[in-house]
Amino acid sequence: MATTEWPAGLLELIEDFSVAFDASERYEMLFELADDVDELPISEWTPSTKVHGCQSEAHVLACLNEDGSFHLRGAADSKLVQGLISITATALEGLSLAEIASFSPAYVKEMGLKEALTPSRANGFLNMFKKVQHEAALLGE
Amino acid sequence: MAWSIDDWPEPIALSVEDARKDFPILKREVGDGKQLIYLDNAATTQKPQQVIDAMSEYYRNNNSNVHRAAHTLASEATTAYEESRLKLKHWFGATQSRLVFTSGTTEAINLAAHAWARTNLAEGDAIVLTEMEHHADIVPWQMLAKEKGVELRWTPFDLETFELDMDAFTIAVKGAKLVACVHTSNVLGVRNPIKEIIHLTHEAGAKLIFDAAQAAPHDRLNFEGLGVDMLAISAHKMGGPTGIGALIINEPTFQQMEPFMGGGDMIREVHLDHSTYQENEHMLEAGTPKIAEAIGWGAAIDWMAQWDIESVHQHGLFLAQKTVAGLRKIPGMRIFGRHEEGDGAVVSFLHESLHANDLSAFLDARGFAIRTGHHCAQPLLRKFNIAATNRVSYWLYNTEHEVDEFISAITDICNKYA
Repeated sequence: MATTEWPAGLLELIEDFSVAFDASERYEMLFELADDVDELPISEWTPSTKVHGCQSEAHVLACLNEDGSFHLRGAADSKLVQGLISITATALEGLSLAEIASFSPAYVKEMGLKEALTPSRANGFLNMFKKVQHEAALLGE
Repeated sequence: MAWSIDDWPEPIALSVEDARKDFPILKREVGDGKQLIYLDNAATTQKPQQVIDAMSEYYRNNNSNVHRAAHTLASEATTAYEESRLKLKHWFGATQSRLVFTSGTTEAINLAAHAWARTNLAEGDAIVLTEMEHHADIVPWQMLAKEKGVELRWTPFDLETFELDMDAFTIAVKGAKLVACVHTSNVLGVRNPIKEIIHLTHEAGAKLIFDAAQAAPHDRLNFEGLGVDMLAISAHKMGGPTGIGALIINEPTFQQMEPFMGGGDMIREVHLDHSTYQENEHMLEAGTPKIAEAIGWGAAIDWMAQWDIESVHQHGLFLAQKTVAGLRKIPGMRIFGRHEEGDGAVVSFLHESLHANDLSAFLDARGFAIRTGHHCAQPLLRKFNIAATNRVSYWLYNTEHEVDEFISAITDICNKYA
């Protein structure tokens, strides 16, 4: 997916991050975005919602809106990780399941986040993203 | 000309300013142009230029395999390699003992498990450990216990004072064959009651191995003076390169050891139906050894020998105590460990509402390198019902100014995000 083809909500976030002064500011933005996600309460965390390979405890749940489009709920004990889930939820909101399947995770790089995250957390992000795609595919079955 | 202990200068009190000049990496910037403040020395220390030069010089001018060929380079490499062993024996007060090079502390403890314990322990024998051990001093013994039917006895520690329960230890050590204990905790900073542990262990007729990975950078351990049986250490936590460590072994224990790995330097003769082995340390150093790394470690010891080690210890402890005082002023901050006379230079802490990973990410963005996680001591952290802490750890080049900067940054981050 080329940059120009990012969904509008995500494009707005990418632009916000592109003018951030430094890594501290990018983290601050990520921290604040954590509050925007449709939060999955701890009571709904199960082994099947858990993202493996992430340093923090992170959970995601793939859902469908009434019109059949995609919606992501999620949470993490680390607010920075929850911020990444929040960005992913914004990126994928309202897309079709077919669009989810071909969506590129490259947006974190464009936001200057992948370099700023530790390798294990970056891997954790990819694990989370792949899990979301996998869960979305299961919704379509 | 061969190295002698007279080549070491009379040690002087630590000058942080002078010591720091030898570490080029401390001048670098990270991220968006932030000055690096390196506070992860318990994970690995930085290397002085002298170590970097010694290893480069070896590869540039002397590279050859050791103990084998009769040519000039082989002779130079062998001399340098064995000189490093000699330097280390002097440094650790082990001139009448054996020093086997390993890949690090972990391999050193595994070597003790395979070459000594596997041969000398049988089903029903007991090993005493503590609940503050690093995984490297837990897992090898669990593997041995599974294989041989050996019993593992665990010594607890107090969650308030962070001290080992020596009453429990006294009971556990009775009838045991081996005690494996951390000298200075990599999480709590606590230096355990070494002399009492040695006394009780030997009174019970057991052998003792200390994991001294965290102690070696801050203490001049006197192996023979203390009367320890085995001591496991790493080079990279004391200014030396990664990939090398050692197991120091007293002679009676060494005589009870069997080879662990076969081939290379450890053989004397090989026949199709049997082989005979070297009788010195080489018996436990199969294959081409870590030559450049040993030479680098020797250079690190040469470099450290210029400083009075007690002043190094006191400096690290002062920085740790100053850190604790600063952290205690932050609401919601919990500190794990003890920082009194003799203890190490690590401070573990956890904020009640700011995730350890988030805190370290914010600090990293400001140039601070600190450790976050379970510190390879999951059973210890589980005792506190936590999965991770943040940890800062100091060495001789860290400054009081860096501590001030750290406390200022973490206070600001907690005020903003906690």
